[in-house]
Amino acid sequence: MNAAARFIKMVTFWELIKGMVVTNKYMFKPKVTELYPDVRPVLPYRTKGRLHVEIETCISCRMCEKACPEGCIKVFPPSKEVFKTDKRPAQFYLNQEHCLHCGLCVDPCPTGSIHHSHEYEMVVYNFDDLLFDKETLPYDLDQKQYRWNVLGNVPVKR
Amino acid sequence: MNFQTLMDVIGWPLIKIVILLVPVFTVVAYLVWFERRVLAFFQSRLGPNRVGPLGLLQPVADGLKLLLKEDIVPTNARPFLFKIAPIFVMTPAIAGFAVISWALPWVTPAGNTHGFVVADVDLGILLILALSSLGIFGIILGGWASGSKYPLMGSLRSASQMLAYEIPLTLSILTVILLAGSFRLSDIVAAQQNLGWYFLFPGLIAFGVYLVSAVAESNRTPFDLPEGESEIIGFHTEYSGMRFAFYFVGEYANVVLISVVAASLFMGGYDIPFVKDAALYAAHPNLASVLGVLSFAVKGALFAYFFIWIRATWPRYRYDQLLRVGWVVLLPIALGNLMLVALLKLWLLR
Repeated sequence: MNAAARFIKMVTFWELIKGMVVTNKYMFKPKVTELYPDVRPVLPYRTKGRLHVEIETCISCRMCEKACPEGCIKVFPPSKEVFKTDKRPAQFYLNQEHCLHCGLCVDPCPTGSIHHSHEYEMVVYNFDDLLFDKETLPYDLDQKQYRWNVLGNVPVKR
Repeated sequence: MNFQTLMDVIGWPLIKIVILLVPVFTVVAYLVWFERRVLAFFQSRLGPNRVGPLGLLQPVADGLKLLLKEDIVPTNARPFLFKIAPIFVMTPAIAGFAVISWALPWVTPAGNTHGFVVADVDLGILLILALSSLGIFGIILGGWASGSKYPLMGSLRSASQMLAYEIPLTLSILTVILLAGSFRLSDIVAAQQNLGWYFLFPGLIAFGVYLVSAVAESNRTPFDLPEGESEIIGFHTEYSGMRFAFYFVGEYANVVLISVVAASLFMGGYDIPFVKDAALYAAHPNLASVLGVLSFAVKGALFAYFFIWIRATWPRYRYDQLLRVGWVVLLPIALGNLMLVALLKLWLLR
């Protein structure tokens, strides 16, 4: 750059004005701030929220219990006589307090009964509220925000 | 002394002061909100938006919080000076608004005229310069009376800063005074209306010098050396509660003041752009006055936006750099420009 051009740039404050143009561009760009309680975020399709179990299709195979690295799933199959006709578990415990949302229980499930939902508001006042059993585990599926991850039982490419 | 004289001497000025102070304090309070919002927008944030719609009640909440805070005077401080220093900052900044002419005079149905100005003194702009120089005393006193070394360093930086900007500021305003032929702000605006264009164009260099010096005068980024919000500790470190609020109000009142002074010196003040003001005033005087105030407000707001804009963009100067800019760059430019404009006035604008 020759001296004349540098002098003109100095006199017209070229660099300073260039900076001001850049900042003014950001003034009118969309903002990155999340207005969380007012505006709900649009979650990605495969969001790993709280686990949801469809007790009706569960066959008590205990694959999820074996896969869980934290041991937070406990499945109790029904008695042998009942199992011949009805394979639904007698009791199903989920300790959400220890759940990592790793998704390792979802992959081996042969019926796709266990999968992640889109619920992410899991703050409670005491730990007991994080222990779910057969009755409290399923969501109220009518509520839109509790829709589950429909891709849960699709095999993931390795 | 009859009632009429009493009204003219005491009554009307007092009423005008009250009418002026309410909008001035409102504008100063909402400038804080405006700055926080706009600065956040520049940084891809949203700024205060929780208190009231769009965060419009934020200044009220801030003011209440500062009012209710404990008023602490440090053990090492000099109590009298410590208490009086914030008033030294706020009062001159507010007092400067007295001489600013806001619009053409209001005409009552009876035919009387009332100027949109508290005191249309013939050395108005000089009074503003004098008052804004007084404001620096509050900063220096506050830093010294705090009895702590960091505020003292802040006020020392402020003192050195004052050396840098005062003379270029005065010289740039002198250019406008030369063009207008008067120190009175209403005369300066009238001169721009008669000339047909604003002093922005014959005084472009003076305008630049004024902007730089005015930013330095109101202690704002890139010349916020006395305060230095995040990096260097400022002169009001020891202040809390209402005394801190006084400093805050003083700073923002200063911003509003330099904005409206810049608007009336260089952008034609209450002159309505693209409209023959004299003809409009002859036909509908009160409409012209109200439109004039609005036009003035828009011009002032543009300057306020500009000051926030440069705050969002430019980094801070060191104070030796500021002194160098003031004495080596701005002073020769302002002096040369003054001579150039004098010659222009002599030959072209007779």
